[in-house]
Amino acid sequence: MNSRILKDRTAHFVMLCMSLFAILLVLLMAAGLYLKSHPVLEAHSLWKLLFSSEWRPMKGEFGFLPFIMGTIWVTQVAIIFALPVSLLTALFLTEYAKPFVKRLVFPALDILAALPSVIYGVWGVLVIVPIISKRIAPHFMDFSSGYTVLAAGVVLGVMIVPLLVSLFIEVFSNVPMELRDASLALGATKWQTTRKVVLRKTFTGVVAATVLSVSRAMGETIAVLMVCGCVIGIPQGVLEACYPIPALIANNYGEMLSMPYYEAALMFAALILFAVVLIFNLLSRMVLYRIEKKEE
Amino acid sequence: MAIEVKNLNVYIKENHILKDVNILFPEKQITCIIGPSGCGKSTLLRTLNRLIDSTEHVRLEGQVLVDGVDVIGSGPEITELRRKIGLVSQRPCPLPMSIFDNVAYGCRINRMYRKHRQLIWNVQKQLQAVGLWEEVRGRVRTPASRLSIGQQQRLCLARSLAVEPEYILADEATSALDPISSKTVEDLFVSLKNDYTILMVTHTLRQALRIADNVVFMYMGEVVESGPADSVFHHPQAELTQKYLSGAFS
Repeated sequence: MNSRILKDRTAHFVMLCMSLFAILLVLLMAAGLYLKSHPVLEAHSLWKLLFSSEWRPMKGEFGFLPFIMGTIWVTQVAIIFALPVSLLTALFLTEYAKPFVKRLVFPALDILAALPSVIYGVWGVLVIVPIISKRIAPHFMDFSSGYTVLAAGVVLGVMIVPLLVSLFIEVFSNVPMELRDASLALGATKWQTTRKVVLRKTFTGVVAATVLSVSRAMGETIAVLMVCGCVIGIPQGVLEACYPIPALIANNYGEMLSMPYYEAALMFAALILFAVVLIFNLLSRMVLYRIEKKEE
Repeated sequence: MAIEVKNLNVYIKENHILKDVNILFPEKQITCIIGPSGCGKSTLLRTLNRLIDSTEHVRLEGQVLVDGVDVIGSGPEITELRRKIGLVSQRPCPLPMSIFDNVAYGCRINRMYRKHRQLIWNVQKQLQAVGLWEEVRGRVRTPASRLSIGQQQRLCLARSLAVEPEYILADEATSALDPISSKTVEDLFVSLKNDYTILMVTHTLRQALRIADNVVFMYMGEVVESGPADSVFHHPQAELTQKYLSGAFS
């Protein structure tokens, strides 16, 4: 056989193996989590585990609702904060900014994206938490430590802004120039073109990028852990403490594992996180598929 | 109601793209701009409606008089200028919306109609003008991307006409189309010249020969020869024009 054809086939084979390995890894992870959490699943009903808020490991009661709600609250605040900021930043950079502005902002975004999350956590503790405790919370309640859903959401939001911005820029840059020209040539302003053509054309891409960032945000641990307050209970508002799932696992794994079912319960927490991200991604894929099909 | 270009120079970075261009595009006639690739034909069109503004590092000198008003520099408001000058590009570019919304788009952004009925009426009128109405009347609410390329190009023309322009710029508007659609679009332009001043960049000399009232021959950013089609085609003055027309280069 010709040597270059041999190389081609080998490359093909190796790449196929690596791709399969990557997929397998995900399946293995899911299976491992399931097996590890099996004991607690046997001892308690799934319904009770997911929808009870009784968390007394000493008594063998594991209700994950507070943690699930904590995750949802924090992610929600983060996305509400990050989405408009990122969207407008990305639109500014692709549609309006002069080249030298782009040259300044792009590296800054890369640096922000590369900062270790513990630094965001420290920033949250030193800046955001005091602001909430001293300036914002007093308007609504007698006392707040500042370690709240809001603090966690804001820190998380700031963390995912660079990711969202770079994904959005990618999406907007894919809109052909001719399409913008077509709109401008009809007498549209830049803003009209951006809103009615660029955003409309990229709607599915924007949703997909947001989903990716939300998935990332759900799993973010250290920075959130540092500012969320880690109080077990379902938060009733943004000015209450919360305890998202990743924080639960990071705080407790390795300690008190002698307690019956405790390790299995923490593994189950990881499985929930895994499932939530997976289901969220699948659902959004389905929605996007529907939209694309309608528009084709 | 004519466009007059006076001593126009266009630079992009250090490149001198258009060199001292002087042309008069007469009213309600078809003027074809011919010349080899990269001679500045498209840049000239993009300068007339100032789409060139979105190009980076561009510098314009000279005058472009549209209805006697210089549009280079501060001039009149650019959106109004662009409304007055329709553009049909090489590849059809339907906006990501329905057939109806594509034609209505310009009317809506320019707030042309108070009543929805007037808008519907205008959309229908324009679709009829480009001969698309019979083909799409049952599905004007479906995405424009489902139309064939030839239909899309006629839709783009209808979209331009809907904002009531006075001029139409066509940048090789038929080159991406199959021969039959190409003929349809070409005939459309001929039928439109009673109402509009049409500037057409074209690569096909035969097309220019068929439809042009006036011809501008450009080479390397300069206007080599311009005038009535008949005299440019049959009695070219410049040697370069003779060579180009005889097919010595393209």
